[in-house]
Amino acid sequence: MRTESVDILILGSGGAGLFAALHAYDQNPSLDILVVTKGLLGKSGCTRMVQGGFNVVLDPRDSIERHFTDTLKGGRYINDQELAWALVKDAPETINELETRVGCFFDRREDGTIHQKAFAGQSFDRTVHRGDLTGIEIMERLRDQVLGRGIHVLEEHRAVELVTEEDRVVGALVLDIRRGEFVGISARATLLATGGGPTMYKIAAPSLEKSEDGLALAYRAGALMRDMEMVQFHPTGLLAGAGRVTGSVLEEGLRGAGGYLFNARGERYMVHYDKEHLERATRDVVARAGYMEIMNGRHGPQGGVFIDVSHLGAAFVRKTFPGMVQRVKDIGCDLATGPVEVSPTAHFHMGGVAIDAAGHSSLLGLYVAGEDAGGVHGANRLGGNGVAESTIYGRRVGDALGREAMDLSLTITSEAEWERRAVHHTRFWRRGQGGNPAHLLLELKGLMWDRCGLVRREADLIACQESLEELEARVEHLSVGGDREYNLRWGDALNVESLITVSQMIVRSALVRTESRGSHYREDYPHEDHAHWLKTVYVQQSSESKTMQTMTRDIAFTRHIPEELKEVVNDVVPR
Amino acid sequence: MQVTVRVERSTGTASYSVDTKAQQTVLDVLFYIQNELDETLSFRCSCRVGMCGSCGMVINGKEGLACRTGLDRLGPVVTLQPMRHQGRIKDLVVDMGDFFSKYEAVRPYLTPRPEVQDPIVASPRSKLREAIDLGLECISCGLCLSACDVMTAVPEFLGPAALNRAYNLIADVRDDARDRRLAVVGQARSGVWQCHTHMSCVEVCPKNIAPTRAIAQLKQKLIVRRFMGHRERPIPKLQYIVKEGG
Ligand SMILES: Cc1cc2nc3c(=O)[nH]c(=O)nc-3n(C[C@H](O)[C@H](O)[C@H](O)COP(=O)(O)OP(=O)(O)OC[C@H]3O[C@@H](n4cnc5c(N)ncnc54)[C@H](O)[C@@H]3O)c2cc1C
Ligand code: FES
Repeated sequence: MRTESVDILILGSGGAGLFAALHAYDQNPSLDILVVTKGLLGKSGCTRMVQGGFNVVLDPRDSIERHFTDTLKGGRYINDQELAWALVKDAPETINELETRVGCFFDRREDGTIHQKAFAGQSFDRTVHRGDLTGIEIMERLRDQVLGRGIHVLEEHRAVELVTEEDRVVGALVLDIRRGEFVGISARATLLATGGGPTMYKIAAPSLEKSEDGLALAYRAGALMRDMEMVQFHPTGLLAGAGRVTGSVLEEGLRGAGGYLFNARGERYMVHYDKEHLERATRDVVARAGYMEIMNGRHGPQGGVFIDVSHLGAAFVRKTFPGMVQRVKDIGCDLATGPVEVSPTAHFHMGGVAIDAAGHSSLLGLYVAGEDAGGVHGANRLGGNGVAESTIYGRRVGDALGREAMDLSLTITSEAEWERRAVHHTRFWRRGQGGNPAHLLLELKGLMWDRCGLVRREADLIACQESLEELEARVEHLSVGGDREYNLRWGDALNVESLITVSQMIVRSALVRTESRGSHYREDYPHEDHAHWLKTVYVQQSSESKTMQTMTRDIAFTRHIPEELKEVVNDVVPR
Repeated sequence: MQVTVRVERSTGTASYSVDTKAQQTVLDVLFYIQNELDETLSFRCSCRVGMCGSCGMVINGKEGLACRTGLDRLGPVVTLQPMRHQGRIKDLVVDMGDFFSKYEAVRPYLTPRPEVQDPIVASPRSKLREAIDLGLECISCGLCLSACDVMTAVPEFLGPAALNRAYNLIADVRDDARDRRLAVVGQARSGVWQCHTHMSCVEVCPKNIAPTRAIAQLKQKLIVRRFMGHRERPIPKLQYIVKEGG
């Protein structure tokens, strides 16, 4: 087997992975850094797919404190306040670096300063963007800088396992997708930046290669996970029949700019769900409202509701949202002149690996940044805070890696040990006729959508848990054939395995949280229960029994007590 | 709709008969074939919405993104080939390393001028913004290189995307490596002079970028430099840009 040993191993080449690579390199160019990525460098993942933009305080009339309180309010107060604070505090310097050092060029106002547009759930228009396809600009330029520094990259290689030694992560087993061979990589420090991606739902937005690998790997290695029940559904996922464009997002700026949502009867249904904010309520509220309309039969021919921006004027829509207009045109409709059928779509996982503000996980040597991490967004992420998280935490954690990597020892895993581990991931090959992973994935997607989606109930969750066990058992009967080189079906099998593991964490945590908060809605506990649930739900694999354990802990109000909570929380306790 | 899909695979041409549904794209059909008919077929994609530039291929003889090419436009027989002028990994998956080594040659990364400490002030209608805006949307999908007629005769040619990126940076007042970059794009064998304005790149670009325009601008800059030497318009000072932004 090919083996390598490096100082820093970075898994994933989205905003978090690439920014971390740049910062670690700039801290200490003599470090041996390796980026391993499931897709192509900077072309895979969801930072690339960011449309709307990036939240940052640039205007003197706005303030970091306001961005902070908006983020906590959006997260229904269960964010880790230290993590959320680091996000809002570092946002301005991150945008500055992207513009002046990385080479991005964001849209400008008439006076030549950076333009900021309206997103939902925010008390100020603070979303920086490049048209309505912002992620392309960010990722192309970050990729250019990585090329410029000559950082070593393995493309179309996927991590399948983290290797631990006594609570320390010492590297990762990686599958070279092109050759169908394994590579064992020992590292002083490993960064998990595979970008989560809740693709275990029937309708989902993330890039197609994403399958929550990072969360499955971290869990299996014993890392502490949090907020796993918190899966964000974006209210306006495009419906395009059997096409894979289905689930892709029509960006939030459409609602920000004043777009309307209608049900099939032509009613602006948000009036019944949030009279004050209407379509500009936070995503959790708008997505659930759409889901309720659909479940109550007020849906269109494709089972969705309708977004309509035509009253803003066709010329304005075409100029402001050219990417969205183009995408809708691809499926034969016109966004500028009429309604388009949409559905809630699984978009982002707030839950993830528990970290501190420098990206340390509970395991020494394992760092986490971006969507793989949990805690920044609490129960619901504000639009525009996602790419902010991946880039800001990429920078922060890159700095930490640059400073700390050489203080961690390098443990070289033996070739025999690598071989032993690899066998597990090739088990699909030893079977004759067996199940098709693509079919298993479809079953999983249906199951999670129906039983653990936007509206949850105890009975459904328990049934879901049982079904997941059954699906997990069926992973062992999947079969893969043909050549090992670039074998997509093998990839499907590994993907569905990750997704089932992470689905189990979602369901378990959803059962534990007997209230409704943010994106987690329990029909049997429909109210937010501040008295009992200002808490985080954690998940961890027990090191002895290898079973899934959950526990809860009170939220630490380390910086701010929101007005709404003054009755239940007394004092700020700084960390 | 019944469609015959012919795929030029590493092992030869394979033919599949597929029943397609409305609003499906070439990418949907590839997934269907791989999931249901032939698990050994390989292709590449990520975003499925035309943003990542991973799914380029030659569709009925013309370069296109699989995820943005609707079947309704293609007729009853669809032929799929890997992109040209790039090595093949397997089936429709090409080695984009060939594309990126050309791209890297032009130093595609901003080399920031140290005095640029804050985002520059540039009105959307300023000349500066105009120059940059036009080429910025590139998703490095490689379709232009695949379609480029020059590549057949001159494999060293840097190709449309790399030259387009070079132009963007040369037009970018924040950048400090203009001379080095001009030297690269001016090289006789690999540089801009090889382009004979066939415009194939413009025709296939999924983002409606015109690399030919960028190449023409580069040629002009090189000529100015050759004949006027130091009398060429100096790189604008940053203060100047602020005014130009008005
Ligand atoms: C359609 C869409 C639109 C969005 N729009 C916005 C927006 O407007 N504003 C906003 O703030 N946020 C938005 N988001 C959210 C935002 O994209 C994410 O929060 C953020 O970009 C995640 O960044 P990341 O670096 O953590 O992961 P990603 O950018 O997803 O990168 C993950 C990387 O890891 C790789 N990878 C995956 N598995 C493995 C493995 N096993 N081994 C090695 N590599 C692996 C992937 O190939 C990829 O390179 C959007 C998300 C989507 C899906
Ligand atoms: S899959 Fe991203 S451009 Fe087609």
